[in-house]
Amino acid sequence: MRRSFLGVIILAAILMMNIIFTQYMVHQYYYENYEKVLIFGGLNIVLFPLAVFAYKKTINMRA
Amino acid sequence: MSDKNNKIPFNEDNYTHNIERNNERKLDRRGFMKTLVGAAGVFAVSSLPWGAVAAKELMGLGEKEYPHKKITDVSKLPIGDAVEFKFPGDHDDAILIRLSENKYVAYQNACTHLRCPVFWVKEQGEMICPCHHGKFDVETGSPTAGPPRRPLPEIQIKVENGAIFAVRVKRYEA
Ligand code: FES
Repeated sequence: MRRSFLGVIILAAILMMNIIFTQYMVHQYYYENYEKVLIFGGLNIVLFPLAVFAYKKTINMRA
Repeated sequence: MSDKNNKIPFNEDNYTHNIERNNERKLDRRGFMKTLVGAAGVFAVSSLPWGAVAAKELMGLGEKEYPHKKITDVSKLPIGDAVEFKFPGDHDDAILIRLSENKYVAYQNACTHLRCPVFWVKEQGEMICPCHHGKFDVETGSPTAGPPRRPLPEIQIKVENGAIFAVRVKRYEA
């Protein structure tokens, strides 16, 4: 595996988690489980700095 | 096999023709990763309003009492029939079904799948959503067939002086 793809893979995984958390959050909202909405909304927000971090760490990897 | 794949499509001596293009930076890995990070940002920002509303509900601000609203008169609703009304707001569709002499059920009838209006089919004794054939149990509001997974929110009903009132929307039991 070329190392330069690592960042793309990590970011794609983060985005996948974003999608899952968002879907879960919306459903839990309609089920009126408001604590869970907060938890998953929070996770979604935490994922963003994580994505920035992953970008910075992997952007200069060669081959 | 044929030599179809061995042909050079056109003559060229400049193998760098595809390197210096406009917007080249948009197509490379760095640009793609920036897009992904941006998308994560969009997800983060769009979570905020949900969190805000959820926090509001948790602090009990969402538990407001709506004024009781008259739906119809008992005499105008034969057994087995249904009537549609709006509760609690003017845009929240709801349905009241008279199951027997003294038994009424009422639900917010926006389908829990994609919010199509659910209607009552007397002959089948079921509530049916026309959009994707979701079905709901009339006694409890829980989904029995089709795509919906969540029960219809039930509305508490009160009968007084020959008229039927909507009292409040019941919460799901946590
Ligand atoms: S909207 Fe009711 S089944 Fe899809």
